[in-house]
Order: sequence, then C-alpha cells, then structure tokens
Amino acid sequence: MKPEGWFAPYVSSYFWRFVLIIALGALTIFSASSLMYTSGFLISKASIPPENILMIYVPIVGVRTFGTSRAVIHYVERLVGHDTILRILSKMRVRLYHILEPQALFLSSRFRTGDILGMLADDIEYLQNVYLRTVFPSVIALLIYAAAVITLGTFDLAFALLMGLYILVLVVVLPLISLLFTQKRQREVKQERNRLYQKLTDAVLGMGDWVISGRQSQFVDTYESDEQLVARTDGALRRWARLRMFIGQAVVGVGVLSLLYWAAGEYADGAIAGTLIAAFVLVVFPVADAFLPVSEAVEKIPQYRNSVERLSGVAAAEEKERADDPWRAQAAAAALEQVNNLDKMKPDVHIQLINAGYRYGSTEDWSIRDLTLDISQGRRIAIIGRSGAGKSTLLKVIQGVIKPSAGTAVINGVEASAYGEQIPGVIAVLNQSPHLFDTTVANNIRLGNPEATEEEIRAAGALARLDTLISSLPEGYNTPVREAGQRFSGGERQRIALARILLQNTPVVVLDEPTVGLDPRTERELLATMFEAMAGKTLIWVTHHLVGAEQMDEVIFMEGGSVEMRGTHAELMAREPRYRRLYELDRPGVMPGGSDSMTP
Amino acid sequence: MDKNLLGYKGVKPVFLIVGFLTLVQSLSILLLAKGLAEVVSALFAGEPLKEQWGTSLLFLLAFLVRHACALLMSKVSYRFAEATGSSMRRQMMDKLFQLGPRMVGDRGTGNLVTLVLEGVTKFRTYLELIIPRMVGMSVTPVLLLIYIYTLDTSSGVILTLTMPIIIVFMILIGVTARKQMDRQLKSYRTLSNHFVDSLRGLETLKFLGRSRSHSESIATVSDRYRSATMRTLRVAFLSSFALDFFTMLSVASVAVSLGLRLVNEQMTLVTGLTILILAPEYFLPVRLVGADFHATLDGKEAGEAMKSIIDRETATAEIIETTGTGAGAAAAGTTGPEAVTRESIFTWRADSELLLNEIGVKYEEEGISSLSGVSLAFQGARKIGIIGESGAGKSTLVDILGGFLHPSSGSITLNGTKLSALTDEAWRKQTAYIPQRPYIFSGTLADNVRFYYPEASMEEVSRVVAEVGLSRLVASLPGGLEAMIGGGGRSLSGGQEQRVALARALLSSRPMMLLDEPTAHLDIETEYELKETMLPLFTGKLVFLATHRLHWMVDMDVIVVMDHGQVAEVGTHSELVARKGAYYGLIQSQLEGIH
Repeated sequence: MKPEGWFAPYVSSYFWRFVLIIALGALTIFSASSLMYTSGFLISKASIPPENILMIYVPIVGVRTFGTSRAVIHYVERLVGHDTILRILSKMRVRLYHILEPQALFLSSRFRTGDILGMLADDIEYLQNVYLRTVFPSVIALLIYAAAVITLGTFDLAFALLMGLYILVLVVVLPLISLLFTQKRQREVKQERNRLYQKLTDAVLGMGDWVISGRQSQFVDTYESDEQLVARTDGALRRWARLRMFIGQAVVGVGVLSLLYWAAGEYADGAIAGTLIAAFVLVVFPVADAFLPVSEAVEKIPQYRNSVERLSGVAAAEEKERADDPWRAQAAAAALEQVNNLDKMKPDVHIQLINAGYRYGSTEDWSIRDLTLDISQGRRIAIIGRSGAGKSTLLKVIQGVIKPSAGTAVINGVEASAYGEQIPGVIAVLNQSPHLFDTTVANNIRLGNPEATEEEIRAAGALARLDTLISSLPEGYNTPVREAGQRFSGGERQRIALARILLQNTPVVVLDEPTVGLDPRTERELLATMFEAMAGKTLIWVTHHLVGAEQMDEVIFMEGGSVEMRGTHAELMAREPRYRRLYELDRPGVMPGGSDSMTP
Repeated sequence: MDKNLLGYKGVKPVFLIVGFLTLVQSLSILLLAKGLAEVVSALFAGEPLKEQWGTSLLFLLAFLVRHACALLMSKVSYRFAEATGSSMRRQMMDKLFQLGPRMVGDRGTGNLVTLVLEGVTKFRTYLELIIPRMVGMSVTPVLLLIYIYTLDTSSGVILTLTMPIIIVFMILIGVTARKQMDRQLKSYRTLSNHFVDSLRGLETLKFLGRSRSHSESIATVSDRYRSATMRTLRVAFLSSFALDFFTMLSVASVAVSLGLRLVNEQMTLVTGLTILILAPEYFLPVRLVGADFHATLDGKEAGEAMKSIIDRETATAEIIETTGTGAGAAAAGTTGPEAVTRESIFTWRADSELLLNEIGVKYEEEGISSLSGVSLAFQGARKIGIIGESGAGKSTLVDILGGFLHPSSGSITLNGTKLSALTDEAWRKQTAYIPQRPYIFSGTLADNVRFYYPEASMEEVSRVVAEVGLSRLVASLPGGLEAMIGGGGRSLSGGQEQRVALARALLSSRPMMLLDEPTAHLDIETEYELKETMLPLFTGKLVFLATHRLHWMVDMDVIVVMDHGQVAEVGTHSELVARKGAYYGLIQSQLEGIH
C-alpha cells in the first residue's frame, strides 16, 4: 500500500488550512465544554450566601459568550473544512486525469469489465472523507486529550494520569479493537456486495432470458440467500458498534464518578475551591463528545485503503508505459515538422506499412503479421474481418499508438509512432461510440477545432447533414446534448461526431465500425453522407459487412492477423467465390430464389 | 411523517418496545441528573465523601440504564429495519421479474441495480433511525420539561419558548436552502458530472488531440463546482448553526437565570444543578433528528421509489372465453387445479393455432401507438420472419408473442381459447428466446447451456454443443465444458454467444423459438456461418425471427412486413416480391447501394 501517494502531498500543501480547521474544531469542543464549566461554576458560586450579583458578573459573561460562540465557530469550521476538501478534490481530479490521459487508448483493453472510470472518479470523491471523517476528528480528539490531561496535571499529576488512562480507552484502545474486529468483516461485506452487484447487473441485463427460462424465482431465492449472508456479517458489525458505544459511555460514567471523588477529596483538603466540583463534573459530558466518535473514524481506514490501492494501480501501470519513451523523442521532431508542413488546402499524406507485424508480448501470438499497405492521399480502403482478426491492432499501428514489433509503419517517411501527440493533426477517428460531452451541440462540434468560428461550425454541420435535425431543436446549435448525448438517436450522434471530425479537417480519416447497431436505412444514409463529405481525404474504414464496399478503392479481408484476400470490389466479385457469397448476404435481391425478378 | 410507516409488517410491536424503552430512558435521565446534582451539592456543602456512596451508585446505575436503553432500541429497530428491508427487496425483485425486460428498458439497468442494492440500504437506515427519533422527540423533551416545571417555572418557560423558535428557524432555513439548490440544480449537476464525463470521453478527446489541454478545463470546472457547492453549503449549514446557536443560548440563559435566583436565595443548589444537567438533555432528541435528517430523507425517498415499483400493476393473461380444444380442460378446471387448465391452453402442438385479433399497444394514454390493429394467424411448425425498419414495431410484436408484454387492446386466440394476452409462465416455458445479446451468466459453459433445462445430462450437453458448432471452442478451453465463461471467466465473441443461446434452445427442446435481431451486430462471415448452423435447427418448431437483415427472409415460410406499427403485408418471399409492395420496396432500397 502506498497511501502517501494520494494522501501526504495534500497535507503539506494545505498545511495551514489544516491547522486552522483543527484549531477551529478544538475550539468548538472547548466552547461547549466551557459553557458547562462556567455554568457549573456560576451556580455554585451564586449559591454561596454572602454573594451578590456583581461577584458573579464575570461567569455570567462567560456563560453567554461560550453559549453563542460554539455555534459560530462550528459553522466556520465546517465551511473552511469543506472548502479545503473541495480544493483537494479538484487537485486530485486533475492528477488522476494526468495519469489516465497518456494511456487513454489502452484503457478499454486494460480494464475490460465494469465502469472502471466511474469507479476511479468515485474513489476520489470518497477520499475526501479521509480528511473530514477520519483525520480531523481524530486529531482534534488527540488535541483535546492532551489539553485535558495537562489541565488536570496542574492540579494533581497522579489523577491526571488516571484520567489519561480512561480517555486512552476511548481514543486508542476501543478504536484499535474496533479496527481489528471490523477490518476483515468490512472487507467481506464489501467484496460480497460487489459480487451481489455483479450478479444483479448480470440478471437485470439478462432479464428476458430469465423470464423465458421460468427460473426467475430460483434466481431471486439464491440472490436473497446471498443477501442474507451479507446481512449476517453486517449484523455482527452493527452489534459491535452498539456494544462499543455502550462501553464508551460506561467509561464516561465511571470517569464522571472518579472526577467527582477526586474533586471532593481535593476540596476537603482545601486544594481547590468548592465551586469547581460542579464545574469539573459538568465538563465531562461535552468533552467526551470529542472522544466517542474516534472509533468510528478509525474504522473507516480499510475502506480508504481500497480506493487508494485502486488509484495506485492505475498510476503504476502508467510507469510501465513510460519505460519505452526514449524512442519517441528522437523522431518526434521530424514528425512535428511533417505536421507543420502539411498544406491545409491540398495536403499530401502517404501511409506505408512494410511487412508490419505486432504482438503484445514476445511469447504471445502475432496479432497482425507481415502486413504491407501503401495508402496514398485520397485512397479509400475497407478492412473487414471477424473479431480478433487484427483489425484494431492494425488501426493502432497506423495511428502510431503502438510501434510494430516487426517491419515498419511510416507516415510521409517518418515513423507513425513518432507522431505521438501530433497524430490528431493528420488522422481523425470516428469509432462506434464517439463520446458526446454534456454540453451544447455547438461546443461538441467545436472540439474538432477550438478556433472555429460559428460559420465554420455551421458549415461542418451542414456537410454532416445535420441541418434538419438542428432546425428541429429548441435552441438550434446551442441545445444541450444531455449526458452522453442521450437526447439523440445513434445515427444522430454519429452525425454530430462526424461534423466534429470534419471540423478537425485532417487529410486522413479512420472509420472504426461507425455504423454498428444502426438500422439499414440509417446506415446507408450515414455512409453516403460520410463518403460525400470526405471527398479527397484518405479513408481507412473498418466495417463488419459489405454495404458500401463498391465505393472503396480496395477491400482487405483479414483473418488471423494476415490478409486473406484483397482487391477492388469488382476484382473480388470476379475472383473470389467466398467474397461473392458474403456480398450476396448483404444484397438479398440477387440471391437464388428471388433473384430473376429482382434485378432491375 | 411517513404514512407508509405504519403499514409495514411488525411495526406496531417495535413502536411499543421503543416507546417503553424511551420512557425508561427518560426516567433514568431524570434520575441520573437528580443523583448527580445531589452528590455534587452535598459535597459542596462539605458533607463527607463516604456518605455519598449510595447516591453516586444510583447515578452510575441510572447512567448505564440510559445507555443500555439506547443499545436495546437500536437493536430492536435494526432488526425490524433489516427484516422489512429484505421483504421489500424480495417483493421488488419478484415484481421486477414479473414486469420483465420492458420495464428494465424504461428505467435503465444501472438505476434498477442501484435501487435494489443501495436503495434498500438507505431505506433500512431510514427505518432504523426514524422510529427511535420520532418516539424520542415526542416523549423525552415532554417528560423532562414537566419535571423542570415542577422544579422551576422560569427555566421551564425559557426551554419551552426555545423549542418552537428552533423548529421555525430550521424549517425556514431548510426551505431557503432547498430553493437555492433547486435554482442551481441543473448547472450543479453538469459541474459535478463533468469529471466523469471527461474520463468517459478521454478516448474521443485523445483522437481529437484535445486531451492535454482538457486538464485545464477540469481544474476550472472543479473550481466552479467548489464555489457553487460552497454557496449552497453556506445556507445549508445555517440550519445546524441555528440548532446549535439556540440550544446553547437557551442553556446559557437557563444557567444565568438560575445563577441570579441562587444569588437571591430563591432556589437551592440541588435544583439549579439538576436543571442545568437536564437542559442539554432536553434538546438532545431535536439535535439527533437534525443530524440524521438527510439520511432519513434519502431513505424515505428510496423507500417510495421501491414502493412505486412494487405497486405497479402487472397485467396477467386473462381467459376471456373458452371454446374448442381448450374447453374440455377448462370445464375440468372446476374440479382440478387451475394450473392444469392454463397449461393445456398454452401448450403449443403441431396442430395448434394462434390468432392475434386487432392487437394494439400504447405505452402512454395520450401517446402514439407502437402497434395498432395487428391481426395475424399462425399454425403448427412454421418459420415466420418479421421484417421492417427500426421503429416499425418489430420488437413490440416480438414482446407480445413472447409473453413479455400485455397488449393495450385486442385479443389473442390460442388453441380455441380467447385470451387477453400471452403473458403467462406456461406460455413462456414453451419458448426459447435468442435476443441480439444473449444472456451469458458467470458460470461454466455447461451450466450456461443448461440454463432452461438444468437437469440435462452432460452427454446431452455435449451433443447440442457439437450440433451448434461450439466443439472447437470447447476443445480450446482449459476446462472444456466446465470452463468458466461470462463476467467471471473467459469472455465470448458475439458469434459464440449466439451459439450458446442456440445450444440452450436446442437442449430445452421447446416447441417455439423467438429470435430478436440475432445477427445484425456480427461481422458478415460470422453471420453467414451462424445462419448456416441455425436454419436446420428451425425445423419442426414455430419460429419467429424479427430482423432488418433481409437475407433471412428467403428461408422463411411466412414473412410479416411491419410498417409504422401496422402489418403492411403477409406472404412468402416470392409472393411478396411479385406483389411489388412494401417488401419489394425494402429490397429495392437496399439494392440501390450508396451514392
């Protein structure tokens, strides 16, 4: 575990704020205790017969002051505390972003299951509680502890040590026992709940199948019995929490009695004034309020550890990626020059793969092998193959995200991998689910080029045939897309994303199965718009079926990492029966049986 | 006050026990205050220590009883909350499965899972807190106040007056805070989601070359989020400030007024001390309610959300009229159990007949119909293709046929019995279902294949696995049929998932198959191979296949063409092509290619 990575830096950079928060927290307790202390003192003093009102004037002022100050100090403490935590949260977010950003393109393959990004964001939210719920209360309790023992020590050292022992039970012993007792069980509950979460998500996604199977009550039964198991562990935790509270209170009760007897003894010996008996006794309750929550605060530690471990896991992976950095630096300058020299009006980008191969580890199978491609400016190629045929690896090699393990991949004579951060100046990507950010349509399109004017955005939108859609929206281009573009259908989302990459205006566009999940009409219309809008650009189109293959200069069939067949649509139709068969599946009109009457 | 609260099973004994414990607790508070005050004032008066043993022990005892009561109350309400929470969950789960996949689509998978898991926890916390808090609020302050009045009227008056002031202020501040929250809720939500939104869109940002510069925007948005939050918190924290302020002020006023009367010798020290100890206790229940306010509010809302699902009506298939083959069994229903009757109605045989009469589906009262006036007839073992563009009503029709959805109008005649719907367990058990993404649960491959028919032997499993072309996959898996697949094991490709679903259907030997867009998301070669595997398996069954992939239609016995929620045409491939209607139009538009 490396908690310092996500914990210590923020303590040092916000040290004085932390000191302020803790001081205010301690003052809150101090005011509450002082109210009871001065009150006790006041009424004791007032009851001594010859007193008059002037003699109790000072304690009266004290009572009034402390009575009002606690609320004010506590209010300020909470505000400062939350403000500081939100500042830390902001820093943590930026930091997590910096860690994730370089590995953006590997995230989906590294974390296949679940919504890891959402989880990491939650982890950071959760870490705020380290300070608010654990660090601050514990430090304040320790501070009050020290103050209490020192104050008593000025009266009687031996008794101060005795009271110190009592409080030790509250501040150290009970929390430690608590931690030992709950640590394992809490982990169990958490793991068990994660499992339940998986199980339930699974079942809800497959609800149709469960309903059809007629076994749904069986599922509910097993799910409930799993829940009962968690409830049992949870029940044990709750039992302990109740018992702990009771033990803590019992210690407080005994503390009150001890203090009472000590004070009485001191008074009898004439060491303290009689007025202090009531004052001392009454102060115990508010002071104890600082100590009792420590156990609960400490119990939370294992939960933070979980979050910190997950965050450090991501960070560690980043170090590994960095290790092969040096080779990037060398050719990066050449790549930058290439990008800067691109003629925006009439660009000329030449992509070449010569016997390129890639495998993820030296013992793994080749994901792609011995691929030779020559893609000059304006050429349109379609890549087709089943899942695992190496299509996405090929795209990564072309984009320079990974460096081929064998052979070369170059863009205008410079290694593709050397382009690094410059690659979006050359290649744009439209994939299956481009993300629409929770802002307006215009802002989403503008991401393609932040300097674009309103006219340019509208022009890109028009080119992507967004006009009808936009004119139907309440605020036109300034309509919010809602979370993840929920307002729009799949085809509409793709058109907005298309406008965005048109604005990015790169000489090369990679289309990574952009039409999966769309119905045939939408697919056709979208493809038609794309091909039209991208005239003159190099197109590298990964597709899952053959609609539109006729429009391509070359169709490449991949299987097991290598090229199975390649050629123009016409060539393949003439030469390859396999291609013909598959093409007919997409064009049912020419199929045997109904074909004769169908050919127009 | 939650009107549902009194409706939960076993809530009354809990109220009684908690009420009794609160009473004991309040009395012990009185006792401990009195005991402590007496000891202190006796000692103050100079009486010897050893005479105070009895009273001190009385104090300690009362103190322990008070906290033991708290422990017991928490235990009783926890047990009640746990039991009620589980029963709510159970009811909700049963209901969810009755409502079926349609409902999941409306509410979203994530929402439902969160409601079941976290909602129940929140609801439990609410139940656990609300009863002791409510009882505590209504018993303890009243008792203590009455006692204080018997000791000293003016302290009683101060304390009495403070309570309404506190409550009025808390409500006022609460309302203001809520108004402010509501006002900036939208921008607040956007700000707080911005980070997750950015992380999810990281890949896209990277492709656009904007990922580096975006970190600045994260920092600025986080800062704006902070100032927005702080604006809200400044008001929100005021309510606990008011609570603190007025209780403390009240205690201070009581102390000062006690002091003044002690000086004037209108009161004894014992009384003064007792009142001073009781004053904070008087406010404690209100403070607890304030501290738990948000937790209880969240839990209450979660409880209502669950209740709204449980209270949903599930329309079950009703028998409208029995004639023909089902009639004999229905008449026998007067003596035999009803299930027997239903089973015989819903059984699909080689000579069975299914008629849809003017079926219509409307999701909202005023909304447009998803289906209207659909009348179709099917007999025995046929392959029926359902085709149409998206939004034409294919999936709705599949849901009606599969018994997932109760139509809003029309009737269905099955085996001569007129029914309101097919939503019946007996009907669903006749059907094997293959959706676009079949459900592969985390378990062994064999268990996944045995999903509909858990009793099947391993030989049978291997047989169907071979038949659907999964033998190569099985051979490549380390544990063969016992290898773990799904979430906890090896993940399958789309084509393999379909084959598992197919094996399932085959093993169950159910007389009907329902396929909803089984191949549209697959690459064309996988689609081709899967089709070759599937077609022979359709023989001898009633098959409904809904898709927008036209190539399937050639192999169907009957094609139903859907358009705008209505049946446009019914016929065989060659009939429909010859007619040059809607089906012909669909083929033509796909032939055109891309211009």
